[in-house]
Amino acid sequence: MPASQAALEIEELSGAGRGATIRVSGDWTFGALSKRRFRLARVAADLQQRPARALRWDLTGITALDDAGAVWLARALRSAEQIDVDPRFRTILTQASQGLLVQRPARGIDPLAGVVRIGQAGIEFGFHLRDGATLLGQLVLDLVRVLRRWRDFPLLELSANVYRAGVSALPVTMLVGFLIGVVLTYLSALQLKRYGADLLVINIVGIGVVRELGPLLASIIAAGRSGSAMTAQLGVMRVTEEIEALSVMGVSVTARLVLPKVLGLAIALPMVSFCTDVAALAGGMLIAKLTLGIAPPAFMEALPRAVEVVNFWIGLGKSVVFGIAVAFVACHYGLRVLPNTDSLAAGVTQSVVASVTSVILLDAMFAILLRDVG
Amino acid sequence: MSAEAKPQNAVDSVVEVRKLLNKIGNFVLHRDLDFEVRAGEVMTLVGGSGSGKTQLVRVILGLKRPNGGFVRVFGVSWDDPSFVRVRAARERMGMLFQNGALYSAFTVYQNVAFPLRERGGLDEDAIRAIVYAKLAQVELEPAHADLLPANLSGGMVKRVALARALALSPELLILDEPTAGLDPDRSDSFVRLIKRLRTENRFAVLMVTHDLNTLNDLSDRVSVLADQHIIASGPIDEVRAVPHRFIENFFGGERGRRAFTDG
Repeated sequence: MPASQAALEIEELSGAGRGATIRVSGDWTFGALSKRRFRLARVAADLQQRPARALRWDLTGITALDDAGAVWLARALRSAEQIDVDPRFRTILTQASQGLLVQRPARGIDPLAGVVRIGQAGIEFGFHLRDGATLLGQLVLDLVRVLRRWRDFPLLELSANVYRAGVSALPVTMLVGFLIGVVLTYLSALQLKRYGADLLVINIVGIGVVRELGPLLASIIAAGRSGSAMTAQLGVMRVTEEIEALSVMGVSVTARLVLPKVLGLAIALPMVSFCTDVAALAGGMLIAKLTLGIAPPAFMEALPRAVEVVNFWIGLGKSVVFGIAVAFVACHYGLRVLPNTDSLAAGVTQSVVASVTSVILLDAMFAILLRDVG
Repeated sequence: MSAEAKPQNAVDSVVEVRKLLNKIGNFVLHRDLDFEVRAGEVMTLVGGSGSGKTQLVRVILGLKRPNGGFVRVFGVSWDDPSFVRVRAARERMGMLFQNGALYSAFTVYQNVAFPLRERGGLDEDAIRAIVYAKLAQVELEPAHADLLPANLSGGMVKRVALARALALSPELLILDEPTAGLDPDRSDSFVRLIKRLRTENRFAVLMVTHDLNTLNDLSDRVSVLADQHIIASGPIDEVRAVPHRFIENFFGGERGRRAFTDG
């Protein structure tokens, strides 16, 4: 046998008949193996041809053995019986050959998978409704409790939430509102000009913005901005066990975390949507001047006549409800996050989708209920 | 292992830290710190709470850039422009984070298989065999393979993390508080496991620990971090003889006497 080399060496001494002795030496590590993997693959294929029992393995020349080497050897050894091996490598070889024998459970294709998925989705939806109802009930109970015991009222958290969801959301919502006002006025002005009904643009933009678009835009942006942040915050607090720590200290999670978010958005969103209205009307006024030549003072004068003031109150009322819905849905999803990153990502996505959907659903309900008003 | 049997790129010190200056904001954590882990040895880093052991490990891992001095692992600086060289050095080391740092979206099996798949060069059967061999080494059942980290106990998380750190048969294993949170029985079997693995494949270990028994059982050399630098480095008996307040408290206390007389 040659002196132990840095790489590996398989020596095959053909004995009498079919038998052979295989001497293995050198470093059997991943690095050394990958340098010689093509040659080794050929040797291995050749060895597979012979009956395993007729081979005699001399592994005493191995100087270093890692898992990759052990697995390679374990495969080549198969059911060989004559194996000489340094006792310090015996365990790793045994573990590698046992590892090869473990069967991963095969994942077959279930013909009923579709049915199972639909069923699971239904059950999941049921759980959502149940947990949502529980959270809503808990929220109402907590609200009554903190109103009775004013000392427990989470005033600091409430003002922080109003600031975060309200004041810091203003630039983006007002910009979006302004642009929507521009687009809406421009498109309707093009149509109205053909009929000579130029002044009707004030009715369209006024009603559209104040009653529908202002609250809707504000709450959709709030769902994307604040709702996702709320879900992520509660989700991370779940992952880091902060929610559990709060409960252990006897602090109600709904009263301290959920309630200020829901109330905060209910207070902030009407104000945000008011500012969005103003920005959108400003955009409308600008375009009305540019395309139809309606001067801003004339626009301002015509606006109260075109849009009854009740529309404004409807818009504000809707945004209170939307704010409650967005924050509630966000908190509901945040509290359902499981302590792993996948669940957190899925929770935030679902939360935004669900809150936007719920806002639009509520808006449709308002449209039907209040069709005779304003 | 004879000298010519070593791979060509082997270096005598796997971790080399020279003249390290490490600041957090304006606060100087390490100054003029020299530290070394030699190939094949178990180096234990000890130091009081807040002395910056974990920060030193983070600098060695390349997770924090030092403010001065240099850090080389396997002769490679983490600032090396060659992605291949840095990646090769990274594949030669394994890290056991204190809290496991398992990928929470992966099952136990996927966590241990991940470094093997990333390195490439192995087929799925070989990966499976190695994963189950690693799980057996850390005394986990094959039935645990499909659990998610969230469903594991603290001790099991640690063992899975160790299995993942060992998956690539690293030449340098970095252990941050490896026996914290394990019961004494598991601590002992952890020490036995590291000892046995080192007979098969002689890798270096850099260990941060407060557990004097583990320190006594495993270490070849000990480095003591205090007063912003390494105040003593060498075999345990030499380090214990160094007159310094921290060393006297750490090794000389009641716990220390118990650990060293039993051992």
